[in-house]
Amino acid sequence: MNRIILNERLVPNIFHLVVEAPEIASSARPGQFVMVIPDEKGERIPLNVADWDKSKGTIDLVFMNLGVSTRKLAGFKTGDFLEGVAGPLGRPAEVVDFGQVLLVGGCYGLAGLYPLARELKERGNQILFLAEARSRAYIYWENRIRKVTDEFLTAFRADCFSSDKDLEEIILGLKSWKPQLSRVVVMGCSYLLFTVSEITRKIGLKTRVNLNPLMVDGTGMCGACRVTVHGKTYFACVDGPEFDGHGVDWQEYFSRRKAFLSQEELALVHLVKKLDSQE
Amino acid sequence: MKKTELFEPGLTERLSREREKDWRKNLRREISAQKRLTIPRHKMPEQPPAQRIRNFLEVNLGYSLEMAKEEAQRCLDCGNPGCVAGCPVAIDIPTFIKYIEAGELDKALDKIRETNGLPAICGRVCPQEVQCEKNCNLVKAGKEPVAIGHLERFVADYLSLRSELNIEPGCVNSSRGKIAVVGSGPSGLTVAADLARLGYQVTVFEALHVPGGVLAYGIPEFRLPREILHSEINFIRSLGVEIKTNFIVGKTASPSDLREAGYSAFFLGTGAGLPGFMNIPGENLLGVYSANEYLTRVNLMKAFRFPDFDTPAPAARKVAVIGGGNVAMDAVRTALRLGAAEAVIYYRRSRAEMPARVEEIRHAEEEGVVFNFLTVPVRFLGDEKGRLRGMVLQRLTLGEPDASGRPRPVPVPGSEFEVEVDLAVVAIGQSPNPLLVKQVDGLKLGRWGNVEVDSETMASSLPGVYAGGDAVRGGATVILAMGDGRRAAKAIDKFLRKC
Ligand SMILES: Cc1cc2nc3c(=O)[nH]c(=O)nc-3n(C[C@H](O)[C@H](O)[C@H](O)COP(=O)(O)OP(=O)(O)OC[C@H]3O[C@@H](n4cnc5c(N)ncnc54)[C@H](O)[C@@H]3O)c2cc1C
Ligand code: FES
Repeated sequence: MNRIILNERLVPNIFHLVVEAPEIASSARPGQFVMVIPDEKGERIPLNVADWDKSKGTIDLVFMNLGVSTRKLAGFKTGDFLEGVAGPLGRPAEVVDFGQVLLVGGCYGLAGLYPLARELKERGNQILFLAEARSRAYIYWENRIRKVTDEFLTAFRADCFSSDKDLEEIILGLKSWKPQLSRVVVMGCSYLLFTVSEITRKIGLKTRVNLNPLMVDGTGMCGACRVTVHGKTYFACVDGPEFDGHGVDWQEYFSRRKAFLSQEELALVHLVKKLDSQE
Repeated sequence: MKKTELFEPGLTERLSREREKDWRKNLRREISAQKRLTIPRHKMPEQPPAQRIRNFLEVNLGYSLEMAKEEAQRCLDCGNPGCVAGCPVAIDIPTFIKYIEAGELDKALDKIRETNGLPAICGRVCPQEVQCEKNCNLVKAGKEPVAIGHLERFVADYLSLRSELNIEPGCVNSSRGKIAVVGSGPSGLTVAADLARLGYQVTVFEALHVPGGVLAYGIPEFRLPREILHSEINFIRSLGVEIKTNFIVGKTASPSDLREAGYSAFFLGTGAGLPGFMNIPGENLLGVYSANEYLTRVNLMKAFRFPDFDTPAPAARKVAVIGGGNVAMDAVRTALRLGAAEAVIYYRRSRAEMPARVEEIRHAEEEGVVFNFLTVPVRFLGDEKGRLRGMVLQRLTLGEPDASGRPRPVPVPGSEFEVEVDLAVVAIGQSPNPLLVKQVDGLKLGRWGNVEVDSETMASSLPGVYAGGDAVRGGATVILAMGDGRRAAKAIDKFLRKC
């Protein structure tokens, strides 16, 4: 059981939870995630660790309210308890001297990339941060991120699927502005990961994407999180979650994420009915 | 008898000392051996197949007191009990059975618990037919063996509500040293219980949110109801063992963090959690699952109660399960209970080589599972949306024995054929969980990533680090894991006394 210290809405559909988890707070590294179980009937869902405070023994989680589990999380109040939090899981992101790095974050990825930005910056890298969102109203943690980056840029798209053009222009523009740029790390919705990878593939710019496949245990025990990268199968929870965006089999990735779409809808309807009857 | 002797010196003498006690002699005299030989083995009462494939309740209903006493009378209480030699933890089987015959169930349970901390579980999942019951002397007399497993289960269940335990709860003395047990499967629970009884402070670290290892995430409720598991685990907690769930050693804290926190000995009971795949085309299609995922969704996450519980299980009409062990039987019977119209086993050897418990095979057959032997998938077929729609299979014949001593399956050229399926579960085996053991510097691993240990002490290549169960053996059995745990506990005690 983990006590909730804070639950706040950051932007219309994105929430920020601060949770007591002292052991995780002292071992978390950028790019890692935790498995969260909201209540005793809940699923185990992966959420990136968006920050941690060793001295207070807390971790920060930022998530988009999408399905049953995140809806349950969004409903928790300060002082409530989560059924469980396990982690930190996955391989940490590489933090070495890259020179210039571009971090592209969308939805929960703005927060998810924050610790990586901070640590890369501490290592002496120059950090360009590109925040992708529907509009300015969906950008959060801007000040916090600005403190640990050199450039903070934004790209707005009416929805996930519209106008990759802007994104492409921005990224290509950045590359000509900063020719030493040698590495991109992307976190956010699947479509963003895919789009950025396709853009950078054209100019051979190394791109690491944080995949977010369905998971069950998160410890390498079930294979639900299988992804194909450069023709080889990996378990994203232990071999990733960060992979080479130019090697991911995107078609398979998108289709595997939809494995339980109809059940997910059913579960949401069930939850909403239950909440209604409680009111 | 040799193997058990090695495991416990003086066992033969102890057994015969018990056997020569007056109450035993009297009991033997009460009913003649001839008369005992005429009593038929009691069948386990079961839920009828048509009913049980629509629920997740336990198939076996258990003996009544009367049945158990009569079954106990079948045991001849012979002077050379083969059953004990066949038991990997050397339970004094004749003594516990005779206590049942005498109506002294408390004493029967205490006798079992002297060497086995999880009797309600072993009575349900051990492959008795190749262990204790195989060596029962009734078999030599041309009779069916005494139903030792059913009796073990009976005693444990009958007394599960007994509040007062005759075994002294561990009097934990922290000055004796702290021990970290990694993994809460049967091997870890056994080490923990044994060391707690010796007065050590033991913490069990479990990566998942529920303790029990495979008993919690793999074996379905229709074979092992979770209340049974919980009461066995509570018993172990009552000995003073602390179980920390959601704690992944190597991630949440490293072994050296734990050493710094004062843990002076380690037991790695991390199991064989890495699911095997066949590496054939189409294996990542939607609808192809590892048995671990399928069973974890249903058992650990309770997908059979979806949407009341949030985790879904895949719905399917035509289900193919690949494999012939307990895992495959559990998966295929789970599929039936989740509503599959057709549930088929594809196994690459023949019926005789199937490693599953005979009871599971029989139950599966009664429930309508179809068995296809000497067949193996070579390719999964998908539709335009990436969903599984069928598979291509190949026929095999049995050739020369391979390293495991079983005949090697050889493909029959040109024998490929296609079947329609919408769910395939791969249950071809698991290998040791690499998460922790690959991270520990200097820990010697074998070819399959298994921890190498001294088979008597379970000591690894690192001083103070012990291992056992599936982490050492690959996919084995509950009772072997427990046997490893017992040996490791003894060795850890010795090790800590020295330092
Ligand atoms: C579906 C299925 C059915 C089976 N049926 C039978 C049967 O009928 N009879 C029988 O005898 N055997 C059966 N078996 C085999 C039997 O369950 C295993 O041999 C036995 O459970 C092994 O015990 P163990 O203690 O080695 O590990 P496990 O039971 O595998 O437990 C290992 C535990 O360690 C945890 N862990 C791993 N790494 C870490 C880490 N780094 N930190 C913290 N925790 C960690 C895991 O989460 C897991 O809970 C079956 C197995 C399966 C999968
Ligand atoms: S989520 Fe189960 S193996 Fe990755």
